[in-house]
Amino acid sequence: MKPRAFLLAPVLCAALLSLPAHATGLATCDSGAREGWQTQEKLTAMLKEKGWQVRRIKEDGGCYEVYALNEKGERVEAYFHPRTLAPVPTGSKGHKG
Amino acid sequence: MSAEVRVWDPLLRIAHWTLVASIVAAWITAEINLDAAKRAHEWAGYAALGVIALRLAWGWIGPRYARFGQFVRPPAATLAYARAVIAHAEPRYIGHNPLGGWAVVALLALTAAAGLSGWLSVTDRFWGVEWMQELHEALANALYALVGLHLGGVVFTSWRHRENLVRAMLTGRKQAPHPGDVD
Repeated sequence: MKPRAFLLAPVLCAALLSLPAHATGLATCDSGAREGWQTQEKLTAMLKEKGWQVRRIKEDGGCYEVYALNEKGERVEAYFHPRTLAPVPTGSKGHKG
Repeated sequence: MSAEVRVWDPLLRIAHWTLVASIVAAWITAEINLDAAKRAHEWAGYAALGVIALRLAWGWIGPRYARFGQFVRPPAATLAYARAVIAHAEPRYIGHNPLGGWAVVALLALTAAAGLSGWLSVTDRFWGVEWMQELHEALANALYALVGLHLGGVVFTSWRHRENLVRAMLTGRKQAPHPGDVD
């Protein structure tokens, strides 16, 4: 056997581990400075009005990323523009687990 | 070329490399924020859980070297082996050595925990529940670290005993016992 070949293993692992933690998002929003953003509370209230059960709101790609159960009780991961709170299309009807 | 003995049975090897494939697939798809990648990530997790269930059963009813009873050693014996490694006096094991045996147990446990937390994250009950998502990520990161340790152990032991253990996990064969080896 060739011990030198084994030395490549840790190098390869290190290279793979250094991959960027987050690649491109499902959506991006041109949302500018934070001062003009509407609050997450307002978005939560708006979705609650629609019959959604909001579980978590994160920021992703300048958008608000919402984990919720929609009015039909389906799991959805939806994006909203922080300035307008308008839904941002993600090319799919939200993620259903 | 010296004589060889069959150590790793075919099912154990298939389980090992399927688990490797599913963990690598879960790792890659976790970094891609696309619907298709998310679905693939979930299926990679289910595959890993399936393999673990099979491996656990095999650990009780499988052939000799696949059995947990054969390679899970008490803490004192494991510590003694670790000391022997530091002193460059550790014996060669035909099956898993004591540290490798605990690596198997820890890898299976951590992969199962990562898989289960991921599964729960896509149930109605835990969908979007932050602590479950954080737990899933933390378990996955711990798993990557342990995989690194496992690879380090494999490389080190291969070098110490002049035996390619990656090849052994592919062919199932290892060098026949030498005097002083532990069977």
